[in-house]
Amino acid sequence: MNNLKSGTSDALTRTASTQLIWLGLAATIGFAMLMGLLYWVSSLTGSHTTTLNAIDAESGTVTLLLRTEPPQLDSTRATDSVSISVLGHVMEGLLRFDENNQLAPGVAERWEIREDGATFWLRPDARWSDGVPVTAHDFVFAWRTAISPATASEYAFILYPVKNGESINSGNLPVEALGVRAVNNQTLEVEFEQPLAYFEELVAFSTYHPIREDFYHSREGRYGADVDDLLYNGPFEMTLWVHGAHVRLEKNPDYWGRERIRLNVIDMPYFTTDATSALNLFKDGKVAVVDYLGAEQLNEVLQQRWQLKRFGDGSVWFLAFNFSPDRITSNWHLRKALQLVTDPSELVNRVIKLPGNLPGESLFPVWLQGVNTFFRQEHPVPKIELNLEAAREHLEIAMEELGLDNPPSIALLVDDSPGAAKQAEYFQNLYGSQLGLDIRIDRQIFKQRLAKMQNQDFDLAVYGWGPDFADPLTFGELFASWNPNNNGRFNNTEYDESVRLAQSSLNPQTRMEAFARQQEILIEEVALIPNYERGRVYITDRRLQGVVRRAVGPDPDYTNAFISSD
Amino acid sequence: MKDLVLIAKDFAPIAVEREAQSITRPSLSYWQDAWLRLKTNRRALISLFIVVGLLVFTIAGPWVWTIDPAAQDLDQLSSPPGANRRAIIVTPYLPWSGITADSVPISGQTIGATAEIRLAQPATTQAVRLEWDPVPGATGYRVYRNLYSPAPDGALGLPIGEIYDARRISYEDLLDLRPTRFWYSIVATDELGQEVAEYTTLVVNVIRVVTVDEAISDGLVGPNVVPKLGDEVFVKLHPLGTDYLGRDMLARLMYGARVSLFIGIIAPLFFVLIGILYGSAAGFIGGRVDQFLMRFADFVVALPFLLFMILFKIAFGIGPGESGILPMLVALIVLSWPATARLVRGQILQIREEAYIAASQLLGAKTYYLILRHMIPNTLGVILVTITFAVPTVIFVEAFLSFIGMGVAPPTPSWGSMCNEGIQTMLNHPHELIFPALLISITVLAFNLLGDGLRDALDARMRSRE
Repeated sequence: MNNLKSGTSDALTRTASTQLIWLGLAATIGFAMLMGLLYWVSSLTGSHTTTLNAIDAESGTVTLLLRTEPPQLDSTRATDSVSISVLGHVMEGLLRFDENNQLAPGVAERWEIREDGATFWLRPDARWSDGVPVTAHDFVFAWRTAISPATASEYAFILYPVKNGESINSGNLPVEALGVRAVNNQTLEVEFEQPLAYFEELVAFSTYHPIREDFYHSREGRYGADVDDLLYNGPFEMTLWVHGAHVRLEKNPDYWGRERIRLNVIDMPYFTTDATSALNLFKDGKVAVVDYLGAEQLNEVLQQRWQLKRFGDGSVWFLAFNFSPDRITSNWHLRKALQLVTDPSELVNRVIKLPGNLPGESLFPVWLQGVNTFFRQEHPVPKIELNLEAAREHLEIAMEELGLDNPPSIALLVDDSPGAAKQAEYFQNLYGSQLGLDIRIDRQIFKQRLAKMQNQDFDLAVYGWGPDFADPLTFGELFASWNPNNNGRFNNTEYDESVRLAQSSLNPQTRMEAFARQQEILIEEVALIPNYERGRVYITDRRLQGVVRRAVGPDPDYTNAFISSD
Repeated sequence: MKDLVLIAKDFAPIAVEREAQSITRPSLSYWQDAWLRLKTNRRALISLFIVVGLLVFTIAGPWVWTIDPAAQDLDQLSSPPGANRRAIIVTPYLPWSGITADSVPISGQTIGATAEIRLAQPATTQAVRLEWDPVPGATGYRVYRNLYSPAPDGALGLPIGEIYDARRISYEDLLDLRPTRFWYSIVATDELGQEVAEYTTLVVNVIRVVTVDEAISDGLVGPNVVPKLGDEVFVKLHPLGTDYLGRDMLARLMYGARVSLFIGIIAPLFFVLIGILYGSAAGFIGGRVDQFLMRFADFVVALPFLLFMILFKIAFGIGPGESGILPMLVALIVLSWPATARLVRGQILQIREEAYIAASQLLGAKTYYLILRHMIPNTLGVILVTITFAVPTVIFVEAFLSFIGMGVAPPTPSWGSMCNEGIQTMLNHPHELIFPALLISITVLAFNLLGDGLRDALDARMRSRE
């Protein structure tokens, strides 16, 4: 009886599994056919851009991808790197960056910078895309719009060097009081708040771009929101903007320097932040450049024998401390203990593993210019030797001062990118195993992390700062007590004085010495623990030449790019 | 034809075989019978062994394999199982100031490539130190590194170094050094900082090294042996390799199993228990009470899990970076029982009307007897199916929540979070994804097959078909 039962059960099972196999086979084939059908349908209805190659030499077209869609292209309100990059192609300020990353005449033909102000003489052949000449009034209007409290531009502070800028932005003066004036259509007069050493750098920035008043008002608040809501005066003009899907730039026939521009069309039909899909598009010959690669993609790139390039994006990444008195990180000995066990070289070479990053040593990155050569060559960073014994002693003192019996628990705020998580876990293990500290990782999405930093809701935070202009001040200012981006509220009187001096002095020697003093104070006070200076590796199609990458200004820049014949 | 002769013996009565009526096998209880049937089901039996094995792996494993799952071995990052562990003992790393030439020859000709690249010292996983001859007319150098030969198309590989001083004729590579073969190329740059076309390449075989201190502290040499420079040792063993931070995969899988299986078993047990009580109460009492109870169950189904998970997390006072396992467990139990309750209620309603229940009642069976003897055994099949499906579902929920940062906090591993970390390195280091994924798959399959076998073994209706 028992035998019989198990016999039927086996037979049942066998037929059941045969059926299952057939069913599975049928399902697989059916699914494959369905997919094939869908693919065929999509190829019938899909846009034709997908069949184009990344580079079309005949029509001078280059196909690229964008990280995200620009939120909007109103130059007074643009803050993100994508908007600034696109604006760098379709707009032009008084000055621009050339193919060697040097400042070159833009709308201004020539200029003169004095101690109390500056004069710009505009070229007569600079035109808007509707043929109307660009005049000094357009700059006056744009600057007044950007500084106006009604616009609430996040980058309004970059106009503070212009006279009365700060008072206007805080609502104490009318916008007409701004120290900028159109003498006539071709001459722009600027008054400074105080003597200023780096104004040329500033006027190339997108917030200083011109806007024509009658056009701005005719758009009724939609300026920069769509392809028809913008007037262009740059080397390219936008001809297509399908929100969330497609941006196309074409050569501007009215641009004064049109002879220089060799590309006819820059097509951007893909928006993605995913490095793997970007790499697949490149592999299929759909895009000509992939400019964000992770360490995990590098092996494939090497295997495919693609040409890798590197550039420093100028930003400095570090662990920021919260100096609020109720936080344990306000204790100097605790910070010193962390400093004495942190080895940026290990982080860069063993954990991040992406080529191009430099181990961080200071808030001031290596590429900053000093008086004669690089600032860091003139003022080397005081060397910190790793010392576990000393670190443990400092931790003992810190615990005594804080009245703690056990090593404290510290919240480390990071964003939710995979790279940040990896670094956070590295620090967690480092400080845990070396000092016995309990590091709690607080992973937040980018916006939430910013909000938490602004509310001082952190002990330690992984923080990056990119330059707005090519002067050490863009970094030095960050730790000034009045800077809203000084999230940890570092407050040091000597440091503040030094920043004030660097802001107002015109003497390069005095300024660089001030920055050197700031660098020393930051290290003595352990105001931050430098992690790395970020470098990026990217791949381009070998035929696309002349792409300019830069730390300051629109990046990437294709205005000087061309397609080589071979 | 022979005559048939009958004798007296032919008329004797045939003996009555009373044995036919006797019971030949011992009486079996319900559970003994179930166990016997389970034993004949080979798949279920294997699954049972796998589940027991997993429990042993989880509970006893860390006692045997005592490696700390959070310890980072930065010398063996993402190393696959069975990697070559041979290493040479060397002195500790000392900074290198590099080589700077006094002057660079100036040439009117076009800038070429350097004549030769040399190793300043043997290439090790500590550092690869390159030096080369200055290139006349150069303004600086770029250093590239490839895993493949740059010839013939000049794919130089990773841009690892930029030197802005032509007199600086050395480079120290520290980046992600592994015991493998590298092709290093040096290209000179011209006045504009652009690279020239020609390059020189050097093939370097990197050897794995450890310092004397590391060899002693990691126990790579015997307790009484003093390691000598140049000795060959084997670096720490990681049977299943290491992850992206050099953490031992085997230890992480063991600890990860604790979280995954804990949630995966405890949560279904509790919510199925609640579901049985609730559902059988509703089904047995019936009427208005049943209506009310089931509408409340419908209401609970409509509650969004993630939102409640977050609410519980806040209510429990779980700060950032602290484990969210407890609120996850509570949220799962509080919100997942209605499905079981509905099933059990349906079963009870059905069984209540069966003829044998009526017969039993007529024979004087009490309510508790009815429930224990007839109702629960008859719903066991359904219940076990629910548990069977709940275990893998809950393991996946845990994995998902750990990924979005609501579950385990690093460095605590769970299979789900390990998978999510492994996906990022899938192409280069597949073992980081394969092992946790395999364990999840095996666990899910084992629970499914075991559940199937248990249902067959316990189902009273199947038994009646014998």
